[in-house]
Amino acid sequence: MNRIGDNATVTAGLSLKRVHKSFGSIEVLKDINLNIKGGEFVVFVGPSGCGKSTLLRLIAGLEEVTAGEIIISGRDVTDTDPSRRGIAMVFQSYALYPHMSVAENMGFSLKVARRPKDELRRKVEKAAGTLRLTDYLDRRPGQLSGGQRQRVAIGRAIVRDPDVFLFDEPLSNLDAELRVEMRIEIARLHRELGNTMVYVTHDQTEAMTLADKIVVLRAGRIEQVGTREELYDDPDNIFVAGFIGSPKMNFFSARLDGGEIEIGGHRLPGPAVKTLSKGEITLGVRPEHLRLAEKGEPFFPFRVKFAEFLGGATYLYGDVGDGALCTIASDRKTQAKAGTELRVMADPKFMTAFDDKGVRVR
Amino acid sequence: MTATTIVGQDAAAPPRGGGRIKYHRWIFHIAAALVAILFLAPIFWVVAAGFRLPSEALQPLPPWPTEGFSFDSYVRLENYGQSILHYTMNSAIVSVGTALLTIGVAVPAGYSFSRYHFPLKGLVFVLILSTIMIPFQSILTPLFLLLAKMGLQNTLLGLILIYTTLQLPFSVFMMRNAFDAVPKEIEEAARIDGVKGIRMLVQVMGRLVLPGIVTVGLFAFLNAWNEFLAALVLLTDQDKFTLPVLMTAVRYGRYGSVDWGAVQAGVTIMMIPCLILFLILQRSYIRGLTAGAVK
Repeated sequence: MNRIGDNATVTAGLSLKRVHKSFGSIEVLKDINLNIKGGEFVVFVGPSGCGKSTLLRLIAGLEEVTAGEIIISGRDVTDTDPSRRGIAMVFQSYALYPHMSVAENMGFSLKVARRPKDELRRKVEKAAGTLRLTDYLDRRPGQLSGGQRQRVAIGRAIVRDPDVFLFDEPLSNLDAELRVEMRIEIARLHRELGNTMVYVTHDQTEAMTLADKIVVLRAGRIEQVGTREELYDDPDNIFVAGFIGSPKMNFFSARLDGGEIEIGGHRLPGPAVKTLSKGEITLGVRPEHLRLAEKGEPFFPFRVKFAEFLGGATYLYGDVGDGALCTIASDRKTQAKAGTELRVMADPKFMTAFDDKGVRVR
Repeated sequence: MTATTIVGQDAAAPPRGGGRIKYHRWIFHIAAALVAILFLAPIFWVVAAGFRLPSEALQPLPPWPTEGFSFDSYVRLENYGQSILHYTMNSAIVSVGTALLTIGVAVPAGYSFSRYHFPLKGLVFVLILSTIMIPFQSILTPLFLLLAKMGLQNTLLGLILIYTTLQLPFSVFMMRNAFDAVPKEIEEAARIDGVKGIRMLVQVMGRLVLPGIVTVGLFAFLNAWNEFLAALVLLTDQDKFTLPVLMTAVRYGRYGSVDWGAVQAGVTIMMIPCLILFLILQRSYIRGLTAGAVK
C-alpha cells in the first residue's frame, strides 16, 4: 500500500536493527542499533565522514543496507522502495526540480501517485500556508532566495504526509542569520505536525537546540544516545564530552588518588569515582565550571593568554601548569591581562574522569 | 560603462568621454563589420547568383545579376527529375530520422554512462569516443557492403543508419556530460517522490538535459542534411536523391556546360531549413554546448 496520505495522526516510530553498510571493502557503518519513538525529534550528529548522512540515506532507501533491518511504523522496509517507506527527505542542496513551479514541486509526489487534482491543490495550499509560501506558488525555484528554496523543499516533504521526516544538513547552505530563523521554523513544524523527524547535522548547536534525542556518531559507530542534558552532563566517553558543548570541555591529565586528584603537582578534591581509586586519568571540566579559587581553597594555576569579551560573558584562554590548553567561561565582569596567573578550581561534582582509552570512569 | 567611470575617478586621466575610448570603440565596430562581411559575402553571392538571367547562369562570374532579375534558375531546378519538394522531403526524412534516432540512442546511453556502474565502463566509453578518430571515408566500402547484405542499399533508412552511427560517439559524449551536470540529489528526490524508470528519464531528467538533447539533435540534423559522400555512394536511384546529391546532378547543363544558376538556387533552398532551425534553437543550443563547463 502506498502510505502517502491520511496517517498524519498516527505517529510512527523507527527502528534500526544491527545495520551494517559497506562500500566495497570499506565498512562505513558498523552494527547500528537504534530505537526512535513516534513523534521524537532525533538528531544524528558527528564529525564529517562519521557515516551520519549514509545512515540517513539507508533509512530513506537511497542506499541499500549491507546487513540488518530497518523498521518504520512496525513495518520492515529494508527492501522497500524509497517512495513506499512513508518517509520524506529534505536535502542539503534543496534538490528542487528547476523546471517546475513551487506548486508543482510541492505537489509532484501526489501527481506521480495519480492523486485527484483537488486533493493535490488542497495539500499544496495548506503546506504553503504553513510555510508562508502562498505568494510564491507560481515562481520557479531559480527566482527564490536560499531560505525560500529550503522552505519549498520542506513543503514538498510535508505534502507527502510522511511517517518520518528526514533532514540531511538542511541548513548548512544558508547564512548564519537565516539558519537560526529556519531552525526555529523547523522546531515549530515539529511541534505542529508531531511527526517523527530525523535530522543530520555536524553542527552541535543545531543538535542541542532541536533534538529530543541526540545520536552521536563517530567512525561508523554510535558513541552515545541520549537527551541533550544527558549528553552534556553525563557523557559516556571523551569524544562525546569534547564534541558536545561550546566552547569545548577542558581536558587535563591528572592522577587520581583516593578522593583527590593531582594536576601538575597541585592536589584538589576529585570526582566521585567508584570503579577506580588510584591511577592516571583524563579529567574533564567544562569551561563554565572553572572558577577562581577563594583564599585558602585548593587550586591549580591557570596562565591567561588572551581574553575574549562577548558581551554577556568573557572567555579566558590559557594553559595550566603542565601546558594543557584551557578555556574558562566567566561572567562579563571578569577582566584578565595576558600573562596573569590565576588560581582556579572546580567543584568535584562538575568533574568527569576518563580512563586511558577515553572511556568514562564513574 | 565601468571603463569610463574608472577613467573619470582618476584625476590624471583624460577627461570623460575623451578620445581614447571612443576611438577604440570605432575600431572595434569596423573590425567586427569587416569580419561579418567576410562571413556573409559567400552567402550573399549564392543567393544573388540564383536570380541571374538564363544567359548569365552558365557563367561562373560575376556571381550576381547584371542584366536583370529572374526566377528562371528556380524553375529549371523545379523541372529537374521529380519536383524540388520531393528531394527536400527525402533530405528531411533522412535528417529528421537521423536526429530522432541519434537522440533515441544517445540519451539512454549518456544516462547510463553518467549514472550506472557496470564492468569496463571506462574502457567502453573510451572505445566509443575513439571511433571519432577513424576517417569515415575508410569505412565507406565495408559499410556499403554491410548495407547491401541487409538489403538497405539505395534506401533512405540505410542512409539514416549510417548517419546515426557516425553521429553517435559525439552525441553519447555530449549527453553523458549533460547528465553529469544534473545534481544527483534531484534524482534522489524524484525517487522518494515515487518516480521510476522511463518516467524518471522523461519527466525529470529529460527536462533538465533538454539543452543537451537540442544540441545533439541539431548537430545530427545539420550533418545529415549536408552530408554528400555517403549519399552519393549509397543512393543510385534518382528518386531517392537527397539535396546535396541533387545539386551535383542538376549542375550538368547542355553540352557539358555547368548550370551555376540552378546549383546556387538549390543551395539557397538548402540553407533555409538550417537557418530556421538554428535561429529557433540557438538559445538552448548555446546553453547545451557550455553545460557543465563551469559549475
